[in-house]
Amino acid sequence: MRTLLAFLAVALAGCATVMQPPGSYPAPGPFPEPAPLPEPAARTENLAIAGLLDGARVDAAAGRLANAAASLERALRIEPRNPRLWQELARVRLKQGDYAQAESTAARSNSWAGSDNALRAENWRLIAHAREARGDAEGAKGALEAAERQR
Amino acid sequence: MFDRAKFWRYTRYTVLTVALLAAFFTLYLDFRVRSEFEGRRFALPARIYARPLELHAGLRIAQIDVVRELQEAGYSQGPREGDPGWFANDNDWLEVAIRPFVFWDGLQPAKRVRVAFDSGVVKAVQDAEGRELPLARLEPLAIGGIYPANNEDRVLVRLSEVPKPMVQALIANEDRNFYSHHGFDLRGIARAALTFLRLKGLQGGSTLTQQLVKNFFLTPERTLSRKVTELFMAVLLEMHYDKDEILETYLNEIYLGQDRDRAIHGVGLAALFYFGKTVEHLTLAESALLVGMVKGPTFYDPFRNPERALERRNLVLRETKDRGYATMEEYSKARAADLGVNQKAAMGTSPHPAFLDLVHRQLRRDYDETDLRSEGLRVFTTLAPRVQQAAERALERKIAQFDRGKIFGEPGLEGAVVVTDTQSGEVQALVGGRDVRFRGFNRALDAARPVGSLLKPAIYLTALADPAHYTLVTPIDDGPFVWKSRGAPDWEPTNYDKAFHGAVPLRMALAHSYNAATARLGTDIGVEKVLITIKRLGIERPLNPFASTLLGAADLAPLEVAQMYQTIASGGFRTPLRAIREVTTQDGRPLKRYALAVEQAFAPEPMYLITAAMQGVVREGTAQSLKNWVPPETAVAGKTGTTTEQRDAWFAGFTGDRLGIVWIGYDDNRAARLTGAGAALPVWGEMMAALAPEPLALPKPDGIENVLIDPESGLRADFACSGAVELPFALGSAPAESAPCASALGIAVEGMKQQAKSWMQRLFGR
Repeated sequence: MRTLLAFLAVALAGCATVMQPPGSYPAPGPFPEPAPLPEPAARTENLAIAGLLDGARVDAAAGRLANAAASLERALRIEPRNPRLWQELARVRLKQGDYAQAESTAARSNSWAGSDNALRAENWRLIAHAREARGDAEGAKGALEAAERQR
Repeated sequence: MFDRAKFWRYTRYTVLTVALLAAFFTLYLDFRVRSEFEGRRFALPARIYARPLELHAGLRIAQIDVVRELQEAGYSQGPREGDPGWFANDNDWLEVAIRPFVFWDGLQPAKRVRVAFDSGVVKAVQDAEGRELPLARLEPLAIGGIYPANNEDRVLVRLSEVPKPMVQALIANEDRNFYSHHGFDLRGIARAALTFLRLKGLQGGSTLTQQLVKNFFLTPERTLSRKVTELFMAVLLEMHYDKDEILETYLNEIYLGQDRDRAIHGVGLAALFYFGKTVEHLTLAESALLVGMVKGPTFYDPFRNPERALERRNLVLRETKDRGYATMEEYSKARAADLGVNQKAAMGTSPHPAFLDLVHRQLRRDYDETDLRSEGLRVFTTLAPRVQQAAERALERKIAQFDRGKIFGEPGLEGAVVVTDTQSGEVQALVGGRDVRFRGFNRALDAARPVGSLLKPAIYLTALADPAHYTLVTPIDDGPFVWKSRGAPDWEPTNYDKAFHGAVPLRMALAHSYNAATARLGTDIGVEKVLITIKRLGIERPLNPFASTLLGAADLAPLEVAQMYQTIASGGFRTPLRAIREVTTQDGRPLKRYALAVEQAFAPEPMYLITAAMQGVVREGTAQSLKNWVPPETAVAGKTGTTTEQRDAWFAGFTGDRLGIVWIGYDDNRAARLTGAGAALPVWGEMMAALAPEPLALPKPDGIENVLIDPESGLRADFACSGAVELPFALGSAPAESAPCASALGIAVEGMKQQAKSWMQRLFGR
């Protein structure tokens, strides 16, 4: 029965779109059709990002944190909306002991994360780390809970 | 009576005194020569670079723009074997021999890259062997320096780097006996003395050593006593230092021309300035040209007097051959070559003085002024040459147009532009006035002017951060408004169109910049609260806590406005505006990095809502005319600003990739009779149109839902309502009630859709 109703509803909904009188909506609203987000980077463009990201990881592992950050900023100039790059930068900031920056950079990553819940969860865990390092146990707990909610 | 004894005694005393004085004088000169030459380090200006262009597949840039930047960096067209600094191109491909360059992260050696273009986009980047390269970083443009007081500029070279033909040509023409004399050349002196005795004035005959002494230690006047001092010092110099040391210093010291207010010194810089190459790559012909210019860099200026320069060069070449330093074959080849100088726009101490001023001020926070002017620091900035050029052109062109239409006498209209990257806060362009090359009053930084309606977004943002009370459709009363406060005259803001509009939806009050509605909204929320928002947006200057501040009775410089709008453009993340990325020492050792820093100042939801409202300003409000320059799909968010009697015209707006602030007005605060939309917006539009802006699309935060609204009633609409618009709301803040136009059927369908959705979610777990 439920399924039937659902089917009916979906069918009706379909009708609704068809029935839409021409020129009614969406009329220009403050957010018209959100302009398409820049396409997922082409393969070759990923190559540039991948190269810089690899370099940054090598540098970070070797403790050359300023260089790692510089490479990530270079990558961000190419793809400023790439949440993975922001996250990687947050990780470097955490290693640099710049906890305030680590937290806000992870938040920046979240703002571009879209529906990537795994990425968001990781950002919240980074934020939890940063808060803990600053002695904000309460805030860290909240961040961990937020990480849990991203499932 | 003649006293012999007395005479001899006096004579002895005199001789002794003279000898003693001469000895002291020599000692003194010796001390000066040694201490100054030894301790002498050329003061090297801090060298300022634009951002390097990084080419990668997918980058939106036309080949012509890359070529232009290469040409400005002194790259020449056409392959040149064994010597980087050139490019070659056809329709699809561009091949570049990139010169070696020391970046912040180390030396990037010379390399050849091939870049494929297709309709304004980089398709591929390869190395010379055709292997794909992820990224090719070009050499950054030098955009000026912070110079020693005399504006002397030089690039130091070692003697070993200077090509032999240059040294030989120099010796053959300026000082044939350089390697054998002791600082002076008797034959030269004899020649000079002869002309002096013939009353033809003092002239040449100086050795290289003497010339160096003259430039180094002495004033330029030509007196006999100075000539004697010069001679003494030259001899002393030769006693203490070997020929190569003297020659190397000479090659770095010599004055070789003028680039506006910048003095070109030394063969290292001259090679770059005239030929766009490093000194070791100079040919015999090119070396001879520079050697020829030693006699008179202005007289033999190859740009201004090419024929004279060519004649002089050939004379130098012949002399070089006659002294046996060049074979007949080398000589004829060099003689046949053309001048080979790279004609490019004069740069002076900087072609973009306003931007350089900003860089200089940011540097001064961390460095000593003397160090900046002498240590040869290398400063890597954020200037994007293409953006800077677009900003300069748009401002120059539009102001010239407005000036023609409005005859208000001298001085003419002025303006300023700031362009930043919305994501990183990097300043890509800065123009400080209509004369873009003028080094002086920098309006972008120092002209604090009333901002008018530019503060309004802060009021609406404060409101929208409280979704329980304010949404984009909340009706705001735009009726006559009077604000009474003790000790101050009543404040009665009026609208630009001199009319009141009754109840208007919040988003429309912003879109049309209604003053009465905005004043009412701002005072309802509380001026203090709005001021806190303004501060959090990044305005550090304290503003008066008066109601009139709400409508822009506050003076801000364009750069401050940029900082405020930057926070909105980056979705609530405050990012300090930066003009510098890195600073290194002269030899490339990293000193300081100015890292990207972000700070979340606002929750994403209200930022999303205010951005939507500001897109409304452009789509259906005061900035509608922007569609003449930028297509509607770009969905620009912006705000116009016009102050009392139209003294100031502002436009602030951002796309997906850039934020731009434009101010137009008179320095003496005359009424310009120009509106934000009429004067500042066209500059913005023309500039952005030249830069192919990315559309603005903010990621929708979790706490935002889009709801279909009937604009008539401001209530929920459905397909039965014509002209309905989809608007964003903070979750749960959208009106619950349906508009009269919404059909019963429609409401039922909407409801069922919602139900179906939740069933599906339960069924499929999402």
